Parts: sequence; structure tokens; C-alpha cells
Amino acid sequence: MNKIKDKLALMAPSVVFAEGEPLTVTVPAGEFHAVAKSLRDDPEMRFDFLVCMTGMDWGETLGVVYHLRSTSFGHEIVLRTETSDRENPELQSVSDLWEAAQLNEREVYDFYGIRFVGNSDMRRLYLRNDWVGYPFRKDYDASPEINPVRLESDESLDVVPGLQEENGKIEETESVLFDDSEYVVNIGPQHPATHGVLRFRVSLEGEIVKKVDVNCGYIHRGIEKMCESLTYPQTLALTDRLDYLAAHQNRHALCMCIEKAMGIEVPERALYIRTIMDELNRLSSHLLFWSTLCMDLGALTAFFYGFRDREKVLDMMEETTGGRLIQNYNVIGGVMADIHPNLVKRVKEFIAYLPPMLEEYDEVFTGNVIAQQRMKGIGVLTKEDAISYGVTGPSGRASGWHCDVRKLKPYGVYDKVDFKEIVRTGGDTFDRYLVRVDEIRESLHILEQLIDNVPAGDYAVKTKPIIRLPEGQFFSSVEASRGEFGVYIESRGDKYPYRVKFRSPCLPLVSVVDHLTRGYKIADLIAIGGSLDYVVPDVDR
Amino acid sequence: MSAFKEYIGSFFKGLTSLLKGMRVTIRVFFRKKTTEQYPENRATLQMFDRFRGELIMPHNENNEHKCVACGICQMNCPNGSIRVESETVTDEEGKKKRVLKRYIYDIGSCLYCQLCVRSCPHGAITFDTKFEHAVFTREKLVRQLNHEGSTLEKK
Amino acid sequence: MLLNTYTDSLDFNALTQWIDQALSSVMPAWGVVLTECILIGLCLLLGYALIALALIYIERKVCAFFQCRLGPNRVGPYGTVQSIADMVKMLIKELITIDRVDRFLFNLAPYIVIISSVLAFGCLPFAKGLEVLDFNVGIFFLMAVSSIGVVGILLAGWSSNNKYSLIGAMRSGAQMISYELSIGLSLMTMVVLAGTMQLSEIVERQADCWFLFSGHIPAVIAFLVYLVAGTAETNRGPFDLPEADSELTAGYHTEYSGMHFGFFYLAEYLNLFIVSAVAATMFLGGWMPLHIAGWDGFNAVMDYIPSLVWFLIKVGVIIFVIMWFKWTFPRLRIDQLLKLEWKYLLPINLLNLLLMVIIVVTGLHF
Repeated sequence: MNKIKDKLALMAPSVVFAEGEPLTVTVPAGEFHAVAKSLRDDPEMRFDFLVCMTGMDWGETLGVVYHLRSTSFGHEIVLRTETSDRENPELQSVSDLWEAAQLNEREVYDFYGIRFVGNSDMRRLYLRNDWVGYPFRKDYDASPEINPVRLESDESLDVVPGLQEENGKIEETESVLFDDSEYVVNIGPQHPATHGVLRFRVSLEGEIVKKVDVNCGYIHRGIEKMCESLTYPQTLALTDRLDYLAAHQNRHALCMCIEKAMGIEVPERALYIRTIMDELNRLSSHLLFWSTLCMDLGALTAFFYGFRDREKVLDMMEETTGGRLIQNYNVIGGVMADIHPNLVKRVKEFIAYLPPMLEEYDEVFTGNVIAQQRMKGIGVLTKEDAISYGVTGPSGRASGWHCDVRKLKPYGVYDKVDFKEIVRTGGDTFDRYLVRVDEIRESLHILEQLIDNVPAGDYAVKTKPIIRLPEGQFFSSVEASRGEFGVYIESRGDKYPYRVKFRSPCLPLVSVVDHLTRGYKIADLIAIGGSLDYVVPDVDR
Repeated sequence: MSAFKEYIGSFFKGLTSLLKGMRVTIRVFFRKKTTEQYPENRATLQMFDRFRGELIMPHNENNEHKCVACGICQMNCPNGSIRVESETVTDEEGKKKRVLKRYIYDIGSCLYCQLCVRSCPHGAITFDTKFEHAVFTREKLVRQLNHEGSTLEKK
Repeated sequence: MLLNTYTDSLDFNALTQWIDQALSSVMPAWGVVLTECILIGLCLLLGYALIALALIYIERKVCAFFQCRLGPNRVGPYGTVQSIADMVKMLIKELITIDRVDRFLFNLAPYIVIISSVLAFGCLPFAKGLEVLDFNVGIFFLMAVSSIGVVGILLAGWSSNNKYSLIGAMRSGAQMISYELSIGLSLMTMVVLAGTMQLSEIVERQADCWFLFSGHIPAVIAFLVYLVAGTAETNRGPFDLPEADSELTAGYHTEYSGMHFGFFYLAEYLNLFIVSAVAATMFLGGWMPLHIAGWDGFNAVMDYIPSLVWFLIKVGVIIFVIMWFKWTFPRLRIDQLLKLEWKYLLPINLLNLLLMVIIVVTGLHF
């Protein structure tokens, strides 16, 4: 770590280092691109994975916080950059270094109005094009007169504005997304295959996809903004509503982040219970994935088989947590209630029940020649692209990237159980599918080891009625059902967070759709989308 | 020749995989169905006891509840679904006391996060397992939880 | 021959002759023809509607059972009145006029689809003496009229002013034209065996032994090819690309509402019936009971079952198999669909036709 520090200090003397773990560096806006480029390309640093990109309003200045990680060395660094120009803030774009920055920069522009020089697409990502103001700024005027509920539909731009730097001069550019001669079809926002209100504008050449433009924001609720006015226990209620198929895991991440900040030691029993529930959640999510992918490919009967079995998982979770989808089970310092006496029996029954059903799944779908031909070799994502786009989770692991947070940074009791990280190297739709099917088996294996060994003790520690976090920045992440779910909290010592950012695993999945589907057919677009398994509320937040 | 062999081989391999799938579906065809016949099974339908259906305020046989109208639940609610209306009355001994007038709960905006139940110092509210909430207008989703003429339970 | 000994316990010849005589006694010849035409037309349409309604109910039940569900069970006992209720709903729904469609073609398309399937329906030999159109190029005529339907589908997609519909219609065009070839060739194989194109004749010639058995290897291959191609021809899963609900929402009939949608829906199910009925007629002996040479007692028992029942049972079995396909397999992609036809089915079919000719010429069939 000190080596990196020395190197950075040598390269750009103007950077400022902050105390603490991980290494936090404030980079002047003018040198940011150069520093980022050397961080990525230097053979001893190789920060090739942009984990999280957070827009910030520090009062006087606007800025961005970047969380970078090296996939080869595993070390992490946090970069901060800021501009004091609140009227017309401009920062350097890193979308040429990390593909993941492309949509994230649009998000930051949408929320903070910071425009990125070098990004050719500076449209708003979530809000309407005619939205007035930038809602995440602390001086934003939220009065409904400024942004009334508009009844006319928002126009989709075919020509997008951008900023480029040429010969030291910053110039506005316009790039054409779709020209008049293109046959552009809307897939979504109301479409059976987008799994929610997501909209793809697809340019077609006959059946062949030429270009896909993702339009998000139909289910944007501003959860991060809402969190800024809620107390910490209250923010917990909202994480369940991000990726509703990984409700428990999302909440686990937020609880972990708050506990880390407060220095709370969670009882052993609670850790076991959390891990068990995480895996149950993963089971339900992957079973749903299996069902919906089958449905997307037209095998409607298989869809019902998956749902039939998922129902049993939901029953187990409901009995213990009181909720099927929105479980509301983790609390700061542990879990809400002890496990239900029936849970152990039910889980054991389920562990015996599911494997024969998985055999049936294989016979009815995995082995099916039509299914195989529709998935093999379709939508190949290379490992480099997966890292650059930040495609984590089963989709990233199908491309050969060892990105399982449960292995990289064990939380809960994942360091005490024996399980394989399922990795495949093909990177195509079929591999993404197989990784998830194998993860179902692996989850059963984890549950088998845990369910009999839950230690006795408290299921939660007592916390004060009013929770305040010490001043500082905190980041923690878990392996949610579809990838790394991270929580970034910046606290100023209040009982409300100053800024909360959720690193959603689904935004990269959506951003990679264009890259994967070009040159394939419409039917493949559906198959690829189904295999990426994005959940729209998690994209839009 | 090998290409021809592959052509034939792939054809039959494909055919077997299809037949395997058909074997699974026909087996399921004769299996017991999993459908739950909901309105018919109403009498026997048992929800899990931890299921959160709606917020209720239990009253005992003397029409007494435990709410002291402190308003902690209202403060803790992230969505503003609870409104505690209280009034100050003077009792026989001349002491001023805050008593609950109306406890208003809007189920339409409830997040079921349980912060109210967990934070209540007197255990006055809890979640019920009733789940049939469909009504025709939003106004009907706003309920008064304390019964008419109810009073605070005496210790 | 067995043929002469078989007397249907439910003979329709007697009924039709009685009606003819009764009418002749009260009105002139042209009046008789007119009345009979109207009567037959009414009966056909009624039968058409009833079969479609029954099929819709059956499909929903079968599909539910494959999916570990119960299916419709609210309207009437076991949900039997469900499809009637659906029909009533469909009839009273508004026909929505869509902005900027080619109104004439848009409204014409469902009728073309339904006319083509009614015409094909009229050719079917339902039972002994119960066939409306029976002439010497029967199977050829049936093929010809049933393929008019694709024009309706293309028109529907083209005139809808909807991009999904257009893609659906184009897929449908490519698919139907390709699979028409397989259907034609596999039926031609059977015509070689039968030596006639007249449907009633074809059935009569299967009195001793169904063509599926008498033609052995080539007949079985032709039957399988026909089943696959027939499924594709009716736009049913796994070949339901023109509709492909997860890709194109509803394909060519996305923009239709009310009874116009109902026509597409009815025609789809009736086409399923027609395809199965043709399969039953060409391969499984139509309304002819199962006869095994030599087993006279068994044959006599079989003869007690009316020919209409025989026909419906055979058609029902084939319909079930086609439904079984649909509710098991995922959907093909357009290039795979065409590959299946041109790379596998067509060469197999051509070889099979040759094989059948050799077998018929050398007298190797039973």
C-alpha cells in the first residue's frame, strides 16, 4: 500500500492522502484522467475494476468518489476529485478507461449536474430530459411547482449532447444515436421480456440487432435521496425494495456497513442466521432466474416448475421473517427475531427435495437441444469486458472472473463453510445459465453445513434507540444474488446519513446489453437479457 | 463422412433430448397439482404467525389498550403512516395527563418495517396476520386503531 | 372385404338422404339445393365454433396439468363454461380503431384467415357419409385453401402500423412458406401409397390396415415429419415465432381487439384441429375403426363404435401430442426454424418420397 502511495506521490505531487483504510486519495480535477490512467495501466497497480462511482455534494464543492479495485492483486483505493464551480461543474471523464463509468457518469450528471469532459453521451439517466435542477444537490429546491407531474410523454433523443476536449478547449459535441433511416423498435417499458419497466431502443436490420440504447428510470424512486432524510434504522426498510429478489442480502450489506462504522460486534448466532437467510434468498432468486429464462425462451411449463419449488423457499423465509419478498429481517446488530423452530426441519426437507427436481430441470430444459442451440455461443462476454463493465456475480463468473465477494472478502460465516466458487470460461449465455444452476446446488451444500450448527446465544445485540455514525466514509459489500452489492455511507456524525450510495449489481448488467447483443437477433436479445438476470428496481434505485 | 455422421448423430441426440423433456412433462401431468384453491380454503388457511398483515392495537375485554400516546411509533415510521392524536385531560386528583384520542394508521403507505412495533415501550401495537385488505377507495385504507370509547389499561 | 361388412352404427348417409327426400317433396329442385347449402353452411359454422371452444378449454386444461396447476375451474363445473364466457366477452368487446392503419386491409385480414380455415374444415371427412366437399383432388384442395391463411396473417401484420406486428408477419410468412413444403411432400408420400387424392377414397382404402402400418418405414417417417411441419404450420409452440409473446408481445395480432382478435384465435385452434384431422385421415385411417386382419371378433367389437367417435378419438390423440410439444419445448429462433426445415426435414422428405415410390412399385407394403 505504501508503494502505491509513493508511486502516486511521485507521479502527481499535488495529490493529497487521507488517513485510514483503504487508501484514500484526493486528486485535483485537472490531473484526474492522467492519474486514473496510470492507476489502471501501471503493472504494479492495475486497478482495472471500477467498483463504485459516487457523486457528492460537499457543500462548497461538487465531486465524485471512485472506488477502485485490482482484480489481479486485490488491493483497493478510493479516489476523490472535486470542483468548486457549482454553476457549470465539469470534471474529466474516465469512460474511456472503464466502461462502467459510462452510465455512472450519466447518473452523476443527472443527480448533481456535473458534466464529464470526454463522455460523448451526457443525457440524463433516470430523470426526464425536461427536469429542472439536480435533485441530489443539497441546495436543490424540491417544491412541486418547479417540477410538476408532467402528463406529456418525454421525448427520446436521437442526437445526444456530449463534451469533448480538443487542443485544450472544451467543446460541446453532438453525436447521432439513431439516424432517420434506422428501424428503431421499442422493447419496453411494457414488455414481457424486460422483467420490469426497462426500455431498450433497438435498431434493427431485419431480425438483426444493430444497436441498443438503454433507457432507465421508469421505476426510479430516489431511494438514495430518501435515505438522506431518514435515520439509520429507517433506511433499512428501503434496501429490501432495491433488488427485491436479494432483499435480505441488500439489507445485510447496509447493516454490515453501519455496524462497521459503529464498531458493533455481531453475535455468532446472528452471523449464522444471516448467512442461512442469504443462501435461502440466493436459492429463491436463482430459481426465479431459471424460471424466467425458460419463459423468455418460450418454455412456459418449465417456468411453473421453478415457481413451484421457489414457493417452498419463500414459505421457509416467511415463517421465520414474516415476509416473502420483503423480508425485513436484518437489523443493526443482528436479526429481528430468532429463527422459527420449524426452519431447521423445513430446510432439511428442502435439501432432500430439490436435487431430484434439479434433475428434472436438466431434462426438461438444460439438455434440450433447442435450449442449448439458443444459448450456446450467444452473447459472449470476455473476462476483460466483464471487468471493465463491472459485470460481477454469476454473469461475471461465467466469463472466468473470480469475483465472488464471499471468497474475496468473507463476511457472515462464509469463511467457515466449504463451498466452491462456480467459475466458467465461455462467457456465453449458456455459461451464465449453468453458473446459476450450479450455484443452486452450491447453496444447498452451504445450507447443509450450516443448518445443524447454528450456535446458541443472542440473535442480536442491544443498540441505542438513536443511532449516530462517527464522521467518515464507510463502504462494505456483499455477494447478492446477481453480483456485488455495495453500500457507501458518508457520515457527518448525525443520526441521518450525509450521503448513501448503493452500488447496484444490475446497472452494469444493463449497460453491457448493447455490447453483447450487437449482431445477434431479437430472440437472442431476449435470451441474453434473461441470462444477465437484471432486476429493474435495482437498476433505477 | 464424419460430417455426415455428425449430422445424423446430432439429429438423434437432439431427438432424445426432446423425448426426455416430454417424459418429464408427462410425469408431471399425472402428479398431484400444487394449486391452492384460495377462497374455498379460507376456513383452513393458516398464515404463519410472524406474517405481517396489518397493524392492530389489541384491546382487552374491558375495552382497554396499552397506548400512552407517547408518539415514538409516529417518530420512527419512515413513511408517515402513523398519526397519534392525543389530548390532555385532568384526572380526579388534579394531575394533567396525556391520553390517546385517536390512533390513525394508513395501511396504504405502510412499509411493514416493524419499527413502530419494535420501538413501542409498552407493547401496545402489534402486527396481525390478516391479509385481505382490498377496498375500493384509498380513504378506506386509513384506519383508526383504538376502539370507540376505549381507555388506557390500568396497571 | 372388410369394407363391405362395416356398417356404421351411426350412419349419416341415411340421415342426409332422408333430409334430401323430405325437402324434395315440398319444394322445387333449386329450392332443395339452396336450403341444403344453407343448412350445411350453418352446420359447418356451428361445428366450427363448437370445436374451437372445446379446443380452447381442452388446451387450457391440458396446459395446466402439464404445469402442475388445475386450470380453469371457476365457471361451471370444472370450468367447462369458461370458454363460452370468454366468447361472450369477446363478442361484446369494442373493435378499437387504431390510428393510421390501412383500415380496409386491417379489417379484411381476420376474415381471410377465418375463411381459409372454414374452407379447409369443410373438406374433412368426419364420419362415414359425413363429408361436405368430397371430390377427386380433395387433399390438394385442402392444402391449397389452408395456405391462403398466410395472406391474412401477412396483411394483418402489414396493415397494423406496428413494428412488432410487421416482424411477426414477416416471420410468419417465411415460416409458413417453408413448412408448406414439408407438409405437401409428406402428404404426397401418402398419396403415392393411397393412389388417390380423394379423401373418402383414402379412408376407404385403410379399412384393412391404416396407412401408418401398411406403409411402414416411409409412412412413419412421413407421419413424424408431418407432425412437426403441421405444428409449425399452425404457429404453435415450439414454432410460435410469429406470436412469440416474450419477444414480440403478440406478433401479428398485437393491434387487434374484440371479435377480430377472436377470429385469429378461433382460426388458430381450428387449424390445429384441421392439421390433426388430416393426419388422422392420411395416416390413421380417418373414421375407419381399427381392424386387424384375421381377428374377426375384435373387428366386430371395434365396428360397434360409431365412425364419428373413431375420428374424434384419433384427432384428439394427435391434438394432445401437439399440445404436449407446445408445453414442453422452448421456442426456436428464426434461423434455427429455417435450418430445421431446409437442412433436415426437406432432405428427409425427399428421400422418404423416393423410398415410398420404390416400396409401392416393388409391392413391399402390406
